[in-house]
Amino acid sequence: MNDIIQNILVFIAMAYALGFLIKKFFWKKPNRKKSCGSAGGC
Amino acid sequence: MSKQINVALIGNPNTGKTSVFNALTGLNQKVGNYPGITVEKKEGICKLPRGVKAHIIDLPGTYSLNASSLDENVVIELLLNRNDKDFPDVAVVVSDVENLKRNLLIFTQIKDLEIPTLLVINMADRMDYKGISLDIDYLEEHLNTKIALISTRKNTGIDNLKHLIANYKDISVTPCINASEIDKTYFENLRKAFPNQLIYKLWLVITQDVNFGKTDRKQIEAVDDFKTKSKADLKRLQQKETIKRYQFINNVLKLGQTIDVSQAKDLRSRLDRVLTHKIWGYLIFFVILLTIFQAIYDWSSIPQDFIDSMFTSLSQWTKDILPQGAFTNLLAEGIIPGLGGIVIFIPQIAFLFLFIAVLEESGYMSRVVFLMDRVMRRFGLSGKSVVPLISGTACAIPAIMATRNIESWKERLITILVTPFITCAARLPVYLIIISLVIPDSRFMGLLSYQALTLMLLYLIGFLTAVSSAYILNKILKIKSKTYFVVEMPNYKLPMFKNVAITVIEKTKSFVFGAGKIILAISIILWFLASYGPGEQFNNAENIVKTEYISQNLSNELLQQKIASHKLEHSFIGITGRAIEPSIRPLGYDWKIGIAIVSSFAAREVFVGTLATIYSVGSDDVDTITNRMSKEINPITGGPLFNFASGISLLLFYAFAMQCMSTLAVVKRETNSWKWPTLQLVIMTAFAYIVALIAFQLLK
Amino acid sequence: MQDTLAHLKRGERGIITDVSSIHIPLKLLEMGCLPGNSVELVQLAPFHDPMYLNINGTHLAIRKETAAHILIDKVTL
Repeated sequence: MNDIIQNILVFIAMAYALGFLIKKFFWKKPNRKKSCGSAGGC
Repeated sequence: MSKQINVALIGNPNTGKTSVFNALTGLNQKVGNYPGITVEKKEGICKLPRGVKAHIIDLPGTYSLNASSLDENVVIELLLNRNDKDFPDVAVVVSDVENLKRNLLIFTQIKDLEIPTLLVINMADRMDYKGISLDIDYLEEHLNTKIALISTRKNTGIDNLKHLIANYKDISVTPCINASEIDKTYFENLRKAFPNQLIYKLWLVITQDVNFGKTDRKQIEAVDDFKTKSKADLKRLQQKETIKRYQFINNVLKLGQTIDVSQAKDLRSRLDRVLTHKIWGYLIFFVILLTIFQAIYDWSSIPQDFIDSMFTSLSQWTKDILPQGAFTNLLAEGIIPGLGGIVIFIPQIAFLFLFIAVLEESGYMSRVVFLMDRVMRRFGLSGKSVVPLISGTACAIPAIMATRNIESWKERLITILVTPFITCAARLPVYLIIISLVIPDSRFMGLLSYQALTLMLLYLIGFLTAVSSAYILNKILKIKSKTYFVVEMPNYKLPMFKNVAITVIEKTKSFVFGAGKIILAISIILWFLASYGPGEQFNNAENIVKTEYISQNLSNELLQQKIASHKLEHSFIGITGRAIEPSIRPLGYDWKIGIAIVSSFAAREVFVGTLATIYSVGSDDVDTITNRMSKEINPITGGPLFNFASGISLLLFYAFAMQCMSTLAVVKRETNSWKWPTLQLVIMTAFAYIVALIAFQLLK
Repeated sequence: MQDTLAHLKRGERGIITDVSSIHIPLKLLEMGCLPGNSVELVQLAPFHDPMYLNINGTHLAIRKETAAHILIDKVTL
């Protein structure tokens, strides 16, 4: 039982770390909508 | 729902704008980035009387609304865009009492945008000292505004400022001057074409596009028709506008401000005579540098040793208290040492930021920039590059962030590109262990230790490489950018404790949570790759090793070590290591060093830790690792693996190679492109490889 | 020949007469480098560059190449 839980936790940590790195370095953050200036609105 | 007031703090650099921000928000602030660009965005919440809250943005310091840098452009973008969620209900212009005239320029510009604008006159405590007196009523009347006379140093007038912010609706929005007078026919035409638009805003958009070319405002796109004037003409008009504004300001101040020069005491000129002196200036700067190094290396070694032992015992404690298993190992061998690898740098980073904050707050940094500009320019750098190059000896990450105030993009880019050559703190553990292995512990002419000499030489090599690659980059990079250089030389001030403390805390936090997350994630993955492997050889390691050594009757401890090292050799990381071994053998390394090098790309200091694991040394004691390493045998020559040739080769490799993911990430962020970090990685590492190869082949 | 800021020696003063050159950044004007204002050379780095100026109470440093575009009348004390 202990072993299974430990292994699951390891894989969660691993997936989390990988996901974090991929998001950090390879994910193009969608650019927020550019501001459109004047008072009249977009 | 209580209404939140949007407040924008605007003002010249060195007016204590950030002090005002700190006074209003305290630690209730956060630093982020504007979307898409690397300009720092500081915002915070301030509680006003009667339960009203103000959302306060500390905009980058700027002398006017005519932007010449990315930082300054943020201010204009915000003030021109009424739809921005941060568009201020009230603009608070922060000025300082000694430079009121110059500070009022941007004030009159913002007034022309018909935004309620409040004037803060900071540093009121220096009025007597400088013999200045102000007629506040007169100024309020003629500038059409409310004035808060405050002193962030003495903490006076802040409540009045909060009161004025809460009652921003009382502030007149009548402009101070009529800017269209500088060219009546031109502005008349503009008005006819866009009857619904604010004339001054149109003018800013037109000049802005000319100056900066980065704005996109669909609505006023048609202003293209009005760019009938040449660049030079527009610039002349802007000059005219500036002159006109100063005329207005001079007239107001003539009656609203009196300066009794005989009352003024001048500390600055006496200090400047020494601190910017051709000889004394450089000497003092040198002494200050030495002090900073001393502090960073000496003073931080005590907390660092403490942190080190804390994390070691934490690892041990985790192993003792948790049930045995994979996750416990991940915690004890991956995550905790990984965290330790971040936390151990906090003292150095904090000390570094402390010194830099003090130097900047006191006004001394501008003097260094002045002293060094000429020398640095020979190498394609700016006087302002001195700051990052000094910071680089601790860590390249904050150093690269410190390049932001360099106006010329080319000079800034070169500074960013060469800073990683400077010997950073993370190289130190690697240098120390290899030097102790391969450099004889004796003295040159019985005086200078060869080991210390080698270390000094490595620092020198780092610095010289940085400077000479700047020289080369300056010759080959074909970037046209404005090369002007204007540095304000602010008054000398005693640094304010609160400001320094907040800077140190904020910067350290951003290092720990920014770079820290990456280091942590990588250490988890490294641990995983070293702890798992495919196939029989890995999964059945215990039996294989036991059968192999069955005749030798090994002690249990030694057998466990053999098993661990066999497992490692067939883990994912071991397989990778042996795959890359042919490429590093010419440099004198085996696969284990190869793995240590590869894992060093997460952070250089990982090298020692990786070797410690690979050589299955239970303790972190440097001496034991050193002994282990000295016993390693090169299977081909039969001699020691770490000899003079391979050691020097390894030292040179670490001196030049770009082995720091976090630095690459920061370069990506600061240059907004993958191109530069990729080039850095490839060129620096290739150079390191070639130099190490030549060194090994010559010395072996 | 017209004097420029680059001709000033340490401690000398002048009155700015012309800043219309395209090589002068607007930022300099905004900091008060305008015709009619007085300017004093406070300090020089080695090789006469950069120059540390006091323009009407604003203290700033600029490179010599920029200073050479700012025309002045020297004030003899």
